[in-house]
Amino acid sequence: MSIGAMLGNIVESLFKKPATEHYPFERQPTPDRLRGNLLWDPGKCSGCQLCIRDCPSNALELIVLDKANKRFVMRYHADRCTFCGQCVQTCRFKCLSMSNEQWELASRSREAFTVNYGKDEDVQFLLDQAAQAGAGVPCQPE
Amino acid sequence: MTTITLPALIILLIFPGGLFLLASGLVYEWVDRKLVARFQNRVGPRWFQPLADMIKLLAKEEIIPTGVHPGLFVTLPVAALAAALTAALYVPMFGFTPAFSFRGDLVVTLYLLSMMTLGIGLAGANTVDRFSLVGATRTLTQLFSYEAPFLLTLLGPAIMASSWQISQINVYAHNVWWMIFTQPIGFVVALVGLMGKLEFPPFDAPEAETEIVSGALTEYSGRGLALFRIGKDVELVIGLTLVVAFYLGGLANPLEFLIKTLVLLLVMAGLQSLFARLRIDQTVGLWWRIGAVLALIQLLAIIIGRFIGRV
Amino acid sequence: MESLANQKKFIVPIGPQHPALKEPGHFEFTVDGEIITGASVRLGYVHRGIEKGTESRTWIQNLYLLERICGICSHVHALAYALGVEKLGNVDVPPRAQAIRTLVAEMERIHSHLLWLGVAAHEGGFDTLFMYTWRDRETVMDLLEGLTGNRVHYSVNVLGGVKVDVDEKQADAIRRGVDFLEERTKYYMKVVTTDETFLGRTRGVGKMTTEQADELGTVGPTGRASGLTRDIRVDAPYAAYPLYPVQVVTGTSGDLLERFIVRIKELYETYRLIRLILDKMPTGELTARIPRRIPENEAISRVEAPRGELFYFLKSNGSEMPERIKVRTPSICNWSSVINFAVGLKLADMPMVLSGMDPCFSCNDRLVVVNRPTGSQVWTWEELRQYGINYYR
Repeated sequence: MSIGAMLGNIVESLFKKPATEHYPFERQPTPDRLRGNLLWDPGKCSGCQLCIRDCPSNALELIVLDKANKRFVMRYHADRCTFCGQCVQTCRFKCLSMSNEQWELASRSREAFTVNYGKDEDVQFLLDQAAQAGAGVPCQPE
Repeated sequence: MTTITLPALIILLIFPGGLFLLASGLVYEWVDRKLVARFQNRVGPRWFQPLADMIKLLAKEEIIPTGVHPGLFVTLPVAALAAALTAALYVPMFGFTPAFSFRGDLVVTLYLLSMMTLGIGLAGANTVDRFSLVGATRTLTQLFSYEAPFLLTLLGPAIMASSWQISQINVYAHNVWWMIFTQPIGFVVALVGLMGKLEFPPFDAPEAETEIVSGALTEYSGRGLALFRIGKDVELVIGLTLVVAFYLGGLANPLEFLIKTLVLLLVMAGLQSLFARLRIDQTVGLWWRIGAVLALIQLLAIIIGRFIGRV
Repeated sequence: MESLANQKKFIVPIGPQHPALKEPGHFEFTVDGEIITGASVRLGYVHRGIEKGTESRTWIQNLYLLERICGICSHVHALAYALGVEKLGNVDVPPRAQAIRTLVAEMERIHSHLLWLGVAAHEGGFDTLFMYTWRDRETVMDLLEGLTGNRVHYSVNVLGGVKVDVDEKQADAIRRGVDFLEERTKYYMKVVTTDETFLGRTRGVGKMTTEQADELGTVGPTGRASGLTRDIRVDAPYAAYPLYPVQVVTGTSGDLLERFIVRIKELYETYRLIRLILDKMPTGELTARIPRRIPENEAISRVEAPRGELFYFLKSNGSEMPERIKVRTPSICNWSSVINFAVGLKLADMPMVLSGMDPCFSCNDRLVVVNRPTGSQVWTWEELRQYGINYYR
């Protein structure tokens, strides 16, 4: 039987710092396991394409330039990705990982969301081919 | 007491009534929202938030729904705001003597403040929207229930000062012990009555957001809504001034005004964040059972006290 | 029942868009002043065709689709599905994976109950309690982010086990977080049971006896507050619950206040379970091998979501995609407990009673298949999608 059971807490809050995080002026550090942007290491990929079959939202595509010499370009659609991490789990050679620093992935245009991953010369080869066909402008990963 | 007198037109339109009053209404709304936010461990809005809200609302289109009386729909907000601004002429705004005070203006001020609430109730009853009708019913029910105890508690200091004129009561309150100590029950009922008049939580059943969207003001948008909201802010300032002038030792200069009203606003913000919303039947029950009885006890104590004092 | 010839019906519509509802649903209350004289409900606004969508995705892809049926109970949906598929494929999951699944399920229960406490307080006009419970909920969400990688949609389940492991640092952080939350929960119990204004809104409102609750089929904390001892974690233990037994929390009075108390007491039980799981975590692997093609079979899996009993029926046909998956969520059982007892209450009580049974509208909407002998057709996923797009054009 009390009137104003929360009195202690609210008076104390008047003198404490607010619990709100002043984003974007302050950013909390992210945990290690955060599932941010997807990163691909082309060195170990064998081209089995299991990750592409397992993706729930068709966010990954593998463009095969030369299967015998293992020259692949992986096209990642960040706007379709649900950041579930199944592709990371499926890959047997640990080529895929999720960054814990790149998580602010908003952009004003659609083109920024199609990312081509691969060795530089492979991606350049693909871009030259695409430029001849008149396709859009993809980005390089950091 | 200061005896600054300004030309009547300046007082009416610019300072301390009119534009200055509107601006101070916005400032007090900001202080109230910021304090409630701090009590809830949040940051709260920045200083220009109420101003930005008003400008945005005034710039938006006013949609007149079907089924209403268009003349009434448009003029009710204006009438309500006018009533609230007129009531400011009789209270010691910002510590200055009221410009147009006359004998008996306590009753007139209270009725002008009630006209604001009546305007909201009528605005809700005007439409065919279910939410507005339920909200209007609740507004008028709440008006009938807190009006009597609130008036009775403002009568207490009036009886002690032997006058119905607010400026004289103000002078009297300045010269004796603060009436919060000599009439504590009256102060408590007056403070709670003020929260009921302003429809602050826990008495915000008439505009319960989670039950009836926005109560009587659901159909209002644009200019009408802006005028109603400014009217409520002005009512906040006037209500605070009245209670401070009567119970917290009168207002002699602007500094006293600022400090005393802000302290009272702090207490009110704390009371706002402490309680859950009362249902409308609980509000009526609370007022008519406890509020009125306490106010009557206080009046009885004052009358007996004066009788003994004279004997 | 018309008593007077000129008695008008005054219907207050709540929803589909209303500040009281977090998700769309349509309620019509016939009121007389403030007293409700009739109530009806219409759902279906959040139907997304998920059950049909599962038929054109592989078993692995469906895990993530079904996780997104609901945001608050997402882990238990994935858990029920994974347990069902493992039953279909006859795979034994290692005990450490089951324990981690149970740990995340209990942490999700904390998150869900704290969220619900805030929302129910907000419906009653008690914004301060709302802000404080949601501030404390941030603690458990940060713990889950550190453990799994995301604040909602944790995606720890894979078919055959879990993706993440719990190491000592994580376990210590979880223990500290749980200690802090236990302090705060004790405080909230005090506020809910002693604050006069809050008691005035919840005591004696929406009372339901044990027989009535049993007849209407209520599940979860709503039913347990009326004295029914129904808890899947005890009646049919799944995952790691045989190792960590649960004590069922019930109440006696069956009104709105009791539902608050039962959920807060369940939080205490959850804290005890989490500490037990962290202290006695079995060692071993995290996943078991499961084939991509599941042999033809039917299976049922039931789990205890924060809102009650969640029921999955899965049917496989030997290929990589399921034949049929049927989901029955707990919220759909609890609607009758609100609508049947609405008559006689005041209009102001309705939002609190509605949120007292913790409705999750997104979980609710399922398609009913009516099999007529002639004139019925089966749609594919693409046809359903196209119908939806054209309907709103």
